[in-house]
Amino acid sequence: MLINILETAFNLIVTLNSDLFEIINLSLKVTLSALIISVIFSIPFGAFLVFYKNKTQGLIVLISNTLMGMPPVVLGLLIYTLVSKKGIFGFLDILYTPTAMILAQTLLITPIVISLTYEEIYKKNKEYALLLSSLNLTKFSKLKTLIYESRYALITVALTGFGRASAEVGAVMIVGGNINHFTRVMTTAIAFETSKGSIELAVALGLILLLISFIITILIKSLRKIS
Amino acid sequence: MNILPLKITNLNYSVDQNCILKNLNLVTQEEKITIIAGNNGSGKSTLLKILHGLIKTSDNNVMWGKYSTNFIKKYQSMVFQNPILLNRSIYENLIYVAKKRNIKEIRYVDKIIDKLNIKDISNTNTKYISGGERQKVAIAMSIIGHPKIIFLDEPTSQLDPVYKNEIESIISDLSRNGVKIFMTSHDISQIKRIGKEIIFLNEGEIIFHNTVSQFLSTNHIDLIKNYINYG
Repeated sequence: MLINILETAFNLIVTLNSDLFEIINLSLKVTLSALIISVIFSIPFGAFLVFYKNKTQGLIVLISNTLMGMPPVVLGLLIYTLVSKKGIFGFLDILYTPTAMILAQTLLITPIVISLTYEEIYKKNKEYALLLSSLNLTKFSKLKTLIYESRYALITVALTGFGRASAEVGAVMIVGGNINHFTRVMTTAIAFETSKGSIELAVALGLILLLISFIITILIKSLRKIS
Repeated sequence: MNILPLKITNLNYSVDQNCILKNLNLVTQEEKITIIAGNNGSGKSTLLKILHGLIKTSDNNVMWGKYSTNFIKKYQSMVFQNPILLNRSIYENLIYVAKKRNIKEIRYVDKIIDKLNIKDISNTNTKYISGGERQKVAIAMSIIGHPKIIFLDEPTSQLDPVYKNEIESIISDLSRNGVKIFMTSHDISQIKRIGKEIIFLNEGEIIFHNTVSQFLSTNHIDLIKNYINYG
């Protein structure tokens, strides 16, 4: 039976099944959008935290570390209450749209990217602080240098965020609604197709997810080697 | 711009109630190489970092002519005991420092590479060069922008005699060209060879400050005698 399922799943992939690739396409669009939005904000912010040592900074790092482990369903529920018709952002009318899914994934990975960026930049700053101070650089200039020197590690951080977002199911299911041809992504489709017994499509999507995870792992390993 | 005399007045520095420097007072007009010597933990590196402005103290504690350390910092540079180099090629490290010091002329970096005799390795990443080469690159970085003062924290402590000799002659050259050098060292023969003035610290206090020749000829207390005999 397993061989039959795998055979059908492979067939769906190699014949470029339109339903399958529509789901993959939307998944990548949502996750990459969330990643880009998160990275643009979180990397400079995480790096900035290294230079401003006060109680607020400590608190932000603590909150960020705590939110790293936030269950996606809880985050999904929170966004749902905010963007549903009766929520304070209900007027935006984004519930059950890819926009809400991007918002959910952005908020899910932002604490991860902030915390890991902070750790990487903190380490680099320890290594280079004396040199950068000796060169009499401004804080902004130091920040730019540290981000550049940590570039490979920061790409790894971004890939970690991508991995977390692409594997997430709870939040996108709640705020996206898993609507066919509109908000159905790989993880929600796997859950849905399995529940209705259409295991072949679920396995095909699972294989694609595994492949993405494999590529990310290889990239992270290579970048760690370079850095 | 006259950066001398250097005046240190009532300089104290503590970390977590550990007194590192105790009420230092000093005036020096020496234009050549000043050695800061003393046993481990005597406060040499801390003093160097304070003079360079890496450790902040009250502005009035240290004055360079009529200028504060804060003002003079852009005319200073420092070479650390373990050279800190960016994870790039030597050439890119030098270009980086040149840009930060607002030097637009690319050929300037080439001239420094020639001067320090590091052309053969200039495209090598700093991860793959030896300790002596790292020290030479750190010195090359420190002389970009024509600083008036260079601080060197035990620049030859981990080097073999050949590199030690090469680094010493670079330092002497800089001094001859009008750069004021402050350098920490444990090596008595090196102090004899290149030092002109010496500040000897013990447990955060200056216990000797005079010329190197005076240092070597004076009848000292046992602590300095042992330092000279075993150094």
